Amino acid sequence: MKAKTVPSFKYNNCVNCGICVQACPVSAIDMTRVGKNGKYANVFPELVDYDGCIGCRMCVSSCPMACIDMAAFYREQ
Amino acid sequence: MKSCMGKILVVDLTAGTTAVEKIPEEVYEKVLSGKGLGAWYLYKNIPVGADLMGPDNILGFCSGALTGTGAFMTGRFTGVCKSPLTGGWGDANCGGVFSPAIKQCGYDAIFFKGVSEKPVYLYCDNSKAEIRDASEYWGLDATEAEARLQADCKTKKKPCVALIGQAGEKMSLISGICNEGGRIAARSGVGAVMGSKKLKAVVLAGSKPMPCADREKVMALSRELGRKINKMTLPSHIGASLALGGAGMGMMPSMPLDGSITSLIFREWGTPSNTPMAIMSGDGPLKNWGAGPAEAKGVKMALAYNPDKINKIETVKYHCYSCPLGCGGKLDIRKIKEAENEFPETHKPEYETIQAFGPLCINDDLDSILYLNELLNRAGMDSISAGNTVAWAIECYENGILTKEQTDGLELTWGNADAIIELTKKMIARDGFGNDLADGVKRAAAKYGGEEFAMHVGGQEPGMHDARNDAQLGVHFVAEPAPGKHTIGMAIQYGAMSLCDICSWAPPATMHSKAEDLEPTEKNAMISKANAAYSMLVDGAGGCYYGEMMGVHMWKLIDYLNAAAGWNYGGDHYMDIGVRIQTIRQMFNIKHGYMPADVKLPGRMAGEPALKTGPLKGITLKNREQVAMQWKAFGWDEKTGEPLPKTIRELGIDKLMEV
Repeated sequence: MKAKTVPSFKYNNCVNCGICVQACPVSAIDMTRVGKNGKYANVFPELVDYDGCIGCRMCVSSCPMACIDMAAFYREQ
Repeated sequence: MKSCMGKILVVDLTAGTTAVEKIPEEVYEKVLSGKGLGAWYLYKNIPVGADLMGPDNILGFCSGALTGTGAFMTGRFTGVCKSPLTGGWGDANCGGVFSPAIKQCGYDAIFFKGVSEKPVYLYCDNSKAEIRDASEYWGLDATEAEARLQADCKTKKKPCVALIGQAGEKMSLISGICNEGGRIAARSGVGAVMGSKKLKAVVLAGSKPMPCADREKVMALSRELGRKINKMTLPSHIGASLALGGAGMGMMPSMPLDGSITSLIFREWGTPSNTPMAIMSGDGPLKNWGAGPAEAKGVKMALAYNPDKINKIETVKYHCYSCPLGCGGKLDIRKIKEAENEFPETHKPEYETIQAFGPLCINDDLDSILYLNELLNRAGMDSISAGNTVAWAIECYENGILTKEQTDGLELTWGNADAIIELTKKMIARDGFGNDLADGVKRAAAKYGGEEFAMHVGGQEPGMHDARNDAQLGVHFVAEPAPGKHTIGMAIQYGAMSLCDICSWAPPATMHSKAEDLEPTEKNAMISKANAAYSMLVDGAGGCYYGEMMGVHMWKLIDYLNAAAGWNYGGDHYMDIGVRIQTIRQMFNIKHGYMPADVKLPGRMAGEPALKTGPLKGITLKNREQVAMQWKAFGWDEKTGEPLPKTIRELGIDKLMEV
């Protein structure tokens, strides 16, 4: 199976604002990844629908903290 | 305006039709979007004498001028209507995710007129707007109905839903509009108007890009703010010290505040951080606004509501759309006895809810507050108004004005958490005695008596901050066209905001002296005007109160607006927009016969008589004189509060209403 270009998140600078989630026209990303922002338990965006992602980069251009890139991934990754 | 969609959707629920209308650029130039756009549209389109629950009342859902541009803390929508609670201007705003969803359907606002014969909801996406049957969702609480509508309406895009719970369906005059499982635009009875129209929900699944003139510049401003906030942290387990801090604040003759400190505290605990401080400082009302901490178990209350206890059961933080701060949180409440596994989780209760059902009722049972919070969020009932009404009922019962027969057998004594819960359930269900309380304290007192214990301003119950602690707040409670709101301004907040650095006529921000605040001076009137004008500007942008409180050097609203709109205006120009929005809202009240001069603080809140103990001991306000001076500062008649023709002309409102 071919790899597909989908969003890849760098969580270090993420401020959990959810702008990318709302920017996604097909709801392929959501605030479902539970992790820590500093000492605070928080939710972070992640790709939840690999097949649904249309690779439009709307999430990339929407992120004020420049936390999202596009990268080639296999579904299993 | 390059950050707006330039269009609104108008839905006629009587005719079952939808229409798209273009908004002239001049409107955005004069009032931005959000509350400003709503004020402009409602002033023009609601006729004099419109039945509050009839087809002529209009309910609007307004996004913000900065929503979706990449600007942080600009994700709030404003519900606007003629308020059935007061009879005058009504609005309530709310975070969550609904504001960008309005724009993503291609509109800056959606307005509903008419009344549907049967329950309906509006579904809207990129290509269509449909009025659909809502019979199967009518009767469900807001959280359950939201989940079902999201599942039933799912296409590619996960829909965002704003809706009413049972309180709105039953047209409780203290009901609001919910989204995101517990965020609520609670004030002014906006939920009752939605219920009167038989409109259960608005379901939005658009994905259109939201425009912005200079997105790179906006993003750069946000990055600067985001980096600052991400570094903010406080040590854990110091919540109990907030009570000591509050006691100190209560004793100090003047008060310092910096916006970054507020942000730090809200990031750690959210608004519950204010509870112990408010109890001990005099900011938070106790025993139905009638006692100081010593008479109202203040220390016990302050320890009961240590925000660390809430943080202990927080599973994750909750952020509204575009917010890096995250003052919200999700709490695991499965183990509290009141919930009995009925509700697995609840949003972190706001300070307002805790104070209204806790110290205001001398209730020190945190678990009962968590349960009530979820109950009210699901029903879509305003916790400020409901708490004030319950506190009135308790005081009436304690003073023999209400009997056990009248309360349907409830022992309404101070601190009786079980009775408070039962009464609230009855209010939501409009059951028996609860039915008489479901329309707020003014109407309840009109039926049963005890007017001296009924704390409302012009018909609306005030937010949980005491004007005797901050006299500027008392001015806004009365002078605000939607009276009783606590989010317009305070002297302590003014000190943190540095408005003088963006506005030539705003007085310098100094540490506010409580004694000086009590006086009706020109300076205080200008502070009050500046606070109100900036608040309106923030609402026009779709901004958050906690962004506002950060101050103009941290949350750079003027820079955001210029970058997003493609404008290059100074602060004075933007403050004029705020003054204009406030003046149109006041004109709305005059047009509809809701006369500002009739709005007064309840005697107890004005310090008549003054409290005998505590930090507010001996304080009596000169509220009427201070309000008159604020009106004058706005260019309104100082006796009637009516905007003067000269002011209307100078602000260009007369011409704007012809657009």
